[in-house]
Amino acid sequence: MPVWLEVAIRSISIIIGLFIITRILGKKPLSKLSFFEYIIGITVGDIAGTLSMDLGISLEEGITSILIWSLFPVLTSRISLRNKKFRNFVEGNSTIFIKNGKILEENLKREKYTVDELLEQLRKKDVFRVADVEFAVLEPNGDLNILLKREKQPLTVGDVFPNPPSEKEPQTVIMDGMILDEPLATMGLSRGWLKQQLDKQGVAIENVFLAQVDSYGQLTLDLYDDKIQISEPQEKKLLLAAIKKVQADFELFALQTESKEAKELYQTNAEKMQTLLQKVEPFLRN
Amino acid sequence: MTVASQVKQSLASLKSIHAGLQELALVSQDEEAQRTFHEAMMMTEEIIADIKNRIGKMEREEPQYHGK
Repeated sequence: MPVWLEVAIRSISIIIGLFIITRILGKKPLSKLSFFEYIIGITVGDIAGTLSMDLGISLEEGITSILIWSLFPVLTSRISLRNKKFRNFVEGNSTIFIKNGKILEENLKREKYTVDELLEQLRKKDVFRVADVEFAVLEPNGDLNILLKREKQPLTVGDVFPNPPSEKEPQTVIMDGMILDEPLATMGLSRGWLKQQLDKQGVAIENVFLAQVDSYGQLTLDLYDDKIQISEPQEKKLLLAAIKKVQADFELFALQTESKEAKELYQTNAEKMQTLLQKVEPFLRN
Repeated sequence: MTVASQVKQSLASLKSIHAGLQELALVSQDEEAQRTFHEAMMMTEEIIADIKNRIGKMEREEPQYHGK
């Protein structure tokens, strides 16, 4: 067998082998690897490289080495899934740097972190004043995570509207002009409904590049032809406006009528509309 | 526009609100949203019944409004 052919066969089989091994190792992104796993990755790569080029090394020896090096992290991760103590030993503990808004100098020293480095890490998180930080912790993989003081935390929907209505994930129902039946069925909708909605907007299915349905059944479209203007879904806004109008009408009727009985009827119904409005408004607002 | 026809217009709007709420109740994915829309829909049904009664009375008392 010519030398080049042996190298080729070795390389290809090692590439396939490495591919399978990386699949077994899982989905952790490179940045989330611990230092140990990172070193193991490099070593496995190095062994594989040498093994494919250096014909002086026998295949059995090389493969044994690769298997040990690559299966060891699989083993440790399996054990650490079960055992918290082992996990702490293998993956390390997090270190608290700031607690109750005060820097813990001892912990900084233990992790060999200078104040400059701490400030730099804080700035990466858009924090320029240490006084804004309630709590900061150095993760085992070297990331610094911070909890801002309550008054410095960004505003959320829950702060402005208490108990906001929840919103589920939207489903993509048309891709490249083709209807996707499965997501449609998940939403409890049919092709007929979709065609009806498209007709409302005056669009043919073939012209739709992408269509999504949100959890309130509103359809949003992206067309191949970007010059065509399509309106945003208005149903919820129109419904809200209609409810407000009827409520106002009833109040008006109550003022206009001279019959006492009718006045009462309109007033109670105006109140009913008002409670109805308050009920559904959070859901119809956006 | 007479009062009767105004009330009839409101009734029509109410019916369309009822249909809109019904559709939302069916199509919404969130259970709480479904329930809220359904309750709102039931409320509109009550109101619609009330207003229908009122229109009937108006037409009986003042026959010139009938059918307008």
